[in-house]
Amino acid sequence: MEPTVRRRSLPASPKRGPGRIIAIVVVVALIAAIAGYEISSLSHPAGGNLNVYFTKMDGQSMGTFSVSVRPPLAGESATEHRHNVALYAAVQAVAGPPGGTEAIRFPSATRVQSVTVDGSTATVDLSREVTRQAGGSFGEDGEFKALVYTMTSVPGLDAVKVTIDGATLPTLPGGHVELDQPLHRSDF
Amino acid sequence: MSWINRSTAPIFKPAFAALVLAAAVSSAARADAPVRAVFQHQTLTFTHVSNAGGALAIGIDDPAFRALLRVDGASLAWKSGERYVLLTTAAPAVVTFAIGDQRYDVGPIALQAPFAPYQQNGEVYLPFDSVVSSLDLAWRNDGNVAVLQPQLDAIDVRPVGDRVQIVAHAGALLRPRIVQSNRQQITFEFDGVGTTLIGTRNVEAGGVQSLQIAESGTARDPKTLVTATMVDGTGHDTPRSTGTRDITIAFGPGLSGPPNQTAQVEPAASAPEQDATATTTTATAPSSGQTMVTGVNVTPQAGGSFTVSVAVSGDATYQWHRLREPDNRFWIDIVGAQLQGAPITQNEPAPLGSLRVRQVTPDTVRIALSLTGPKSLLVSPTQTGVTIGVDSSDVADAPRAGDGNIGSTISSTEAAPQITPAPQDQTAANDDGSGWKFGPSHTGYAALNPRLIVLDPGHGGSDRGAMRGSLEEAVVNLDISRRLRDILVARGWQVRMTRDRDVDVYQPNDSAHDELQARDDVANKAGARMFVSIHSNSFINSGPYGTTVYYSKTMDVPLAIAIERQLASDGTKDDGIVKSHLYVTVHSVMPAVLVETAFLSNPSDYALLSSPAWRQKVAESIADGIDRYSQQYPAPSHAAMTPSQ
Repeated sequence: MEPTVRRRSLPASPKRGPGRIIAIVVVVALIAAIAGYEISSLSHPAGGNLNVYFTKMDGQSMGTFSVSVRPPLAGESATEHRHNVALYAAVQAVAGPPGGTEAIRFPSATRVQSVTVDGSTATVDLSREVTRQAGGSFGEDGEFKALVYTMTSVPGLDAVKVTIDGATLPTLPGGHVELDQPLHRSDF
Repeated sequence: MSWINRSTAPIFKPAFAALVLAAAVSSAARADAPVRAVFQHQTLTFTHVSNAGGALAIGIDDPAFRALLRVDGASLAWKSGERYVLLTTAAPAVVTFAIGDQRYDVGPIALQAPFAPYQQNGEVYLPFDSVVSSLDLAWRNDGNVAVLQPQLDAIDVRPVGDRVQIVAHAGALLRPRIVQSNRQQITFEFDGVGTTLIGTRNVEAGGVQSLQIAESGTARDPKTLVTATMVDGTGHDTPRSTGTRDITIAFGPGLSGPPNQTAQVEPAASAPEQDATATTTTATAPSSGQTMVTGVNVTPQAGGSFTVSVAVSGDATYQWHRLREPDNRFWIDIVGAQLQGAPITQNEPAPLGSLRVRQVTPDTVRIALSLTGPKSLLVSPTQTGVTIGVDSSDVADAPRAGDGNIGSTISSTEAAPQITPAPQDQTAANDDGSGWKFGPSHTGYAALNPRLIVLDPGHGGSDRGAMRGSLEEAVVNLDISRRLRDILVARGWQVRMTRDRDVDVYQPNDSAHDELQARDDVANKAGARMFVSIHSNSFINSGPYGTTVYYSKTMDVPLAIAIERQLASDGTKDDGIVKSHLYVTVHSVMPAVLVETAFLSNPSDYALLSSPAWRQKVAESIADGIDRYSQQYPAPSHAAMTPSQ
C-alpha cells in the first residue's frame, strides 16, 4: 500500500473559467486577503525578529541574540499567534544562547512545559529540573532575569509568571527569587 | 576567523539525506514500514514514519524518536493546537519547525526542509533528515544497517591576541585524547564522533599553522582526529568544555601544554566574557552598577538661604549654569548618571520657587531651580554628591557657571565659598527627613527603633543552602552574622538575629513562604532601621566568584552601595550591587539588602569562606558599610516623619 500523506490544504486556486465575474471575484478576494493580512499584521505581533536575552557571567550585564518569528498564518488568530510567539520566546530563553557563549543558563534539561497568555502576562510552566540549582542568588537572578527580559520583548507582554510542574511556588526550594507574583523587567 | 562552522555544515548534509533514503529507508520508501537504525549501540525502530514526497517523515510521538531525543539530551515541545514544534538540543540550540512551513530554524539560522511539517491523525510529522541534522547526527551505513552517527560538525578558529582558540562542536559529549604530541604537532582523538570536515585547513594564528582533520574507526565506533601543526615551541592549554557539546583548546606562547598524553577536560569556567557568535550583541539592559542620582534634599538655613543636596551614588561629572535673562533660573546637569525614581516637579517656599528633577538625556540628570529672584549660588562637590547653596540675596560677580567631578575624584572649577552650605550629613533639618523629595526617607518608612538592625543568617535548620565538601552555607552565614552582630553591638547598635542557632526560623521543613516571611516579620514587627541578610553564593560551575550585594526596593539602594563599597577590598572580586526580586528584600518594609559574601563553588572564594579571619574581615566591612550609611542617611524619627510628596 502506498503511504498516504495528508498535507495542509492550500487555498483553492481560481479555476479557469469563462466568466469575467469569476475573475473579478478572484481579484476582489485577493485584495481582501491582502488587506486582511495587512490589517491582521498590524493588530498583533507579526513576523520579524525576536530578541532573546541572556545574562552574562558577570551576573549583571545582558546579551541578546536574534531569532526570527514567522508572520501569522492565514486563519491564525491574534490570540493564537501571540501564544505561539510567547511559547517560542520562552523555549529560546530557557535554551539560552548558542553553545560556546558563556551565559548564566537554566539547569540542564529544564523544559518549557507550557505557556499561557492572559492579557499582558505570560505564565511559563517549567519542568522540575529548574529546581536543580546550586543554591545561590547568582544563578536564579540571571536565569529569571533573562526569561523576563525575553518574554517581555514579545509585543503586548510586560509580565511573566513562573510555575513549576503546574504549581505556583513562593521561591525555588531553598531559593531566593520570589516567584509567586508576576515578574517585570523593573524587578531586575 | 572561522572557516568551518555550523552554518556551513548543512551544506554537506544533503548528501547524507541521500544516504538515508538509499540505505536506511530503502525498504521503507514505498511504505510506512518501520525504519531501524543504530544509535550509540542501541537499535531504534521507528514506526511512526511516512513517505513525504520521497523524504522520510517522523511522527513526534514515535517511541523510538522520543528515546532518541532523550538519549541525545534533547527535548521537544508541542501541544495540540500549537503551530510551532520546538526542539531544544543538548548544545543547546532551539530548532523551530512550524506546521505548514518548509522553512525551519536552527537558532538564528534559517534552513529549508524537504517538506513542511504536517499533522496526521493528531500527530505532527517532521522531516526526519532535518531533525537528524539539527541534532548534529548523520546517517551512515554499516553494511545493511543504518547508523545515526554523532558528528563533529563545526570547528571554529578564534584568534585572541597572540593566541588562538580552536573550538570543536559535536553532536555528542566530546572527550579528546592526545594520541601524538611533539614540538611541531599534536593530535587530538575524539572518540564516538565522525565528521564531514575531512581535510587540511590553514590557520596561521597563535603559532598554529594548520589543522588536519581525519576520520577513522567504523560507522558504529567512529573517531575523528584533529592534528595541529605548530611553530616550534608553541604551547597549548588543557581542553576546556565551554558547553555541553563544545571543547575549546587554546594555542600560543606562554602555554605549556599538558604534561602527558592524556587530555583532561576542564569543566566550563569563567573565562573573560566573549561574544562567541556574530549575532550576539550587548544589550542596553540596565546595569545596577551604574551611577545613580538617589535623592535631592532641600534644607532651609538660617537667614533665609537654602541648601539643595543632590545624592549621587558613584562617580559622575557635573556642569551648572545660571541664566542671565531671566536671572532666576539655575540648572545643574549630573553627567554619567541615571535618575532613580520618578521625575519631580514641585513648588518650594521662597527663595526657591520650584524644583524639577528629570533625566534629560540617557546619561544626564538635570536638577533645575526657578528662584523667586536673582540669588547667588555656590556649587560644591562631595564624595557622595553635590551641594548647591542658594543665598537669600545676590552677590555681585557671583559665578554663573561651573563644572567638576563627583565621587572618588572630587574636583571643581568653583571659586572659594561665599556662603557655607550646611554639611549634608549633620544638618538638624535632615533628621526629620521632611526635606527629601526621594531617596531613603522619601519612602515613607520611619523606624520604630532607629538603633535596631536585624541580621538574617540565610538558610539554616532543614535548609542547608549551598554546600561544598563539609562546608555548609547555613553554617558560614551564621558565623559571619554572629561576628557582625558582635561588632555592631560594640559600636552601639541594637541587633536582633532572625536565628542565632542552626535552626529554621519558622519550623523545620516549612514552606519557603513561611520561612522567608518569618525572617522579614522579625524586622517588620520590630520596626528595625534596616534588614541585612547574609548569604554565600554558589553556581553550577566553579567559574563565578566575588561579592555581590542584592537589593529590591528603591530605598535599599543607598544601604546596598554603602556596604558594597566597604566590601570592595575584602579580597575577592567586587561584583557590585544587583537589583533582583528576592523574597526577603521585597517583603521587608525597611531598607534591606542580601549580601552574597563569596562563592562556595569557587576554589579561591571557598578558601576565603573557610577562613575565620576572612569572615571576621567581611563582618567588619559590612559593619563599616552600615555605619557609613547611617551617617549619610540619618534615621528620621518616627514621630517627626512626614512624607514629602
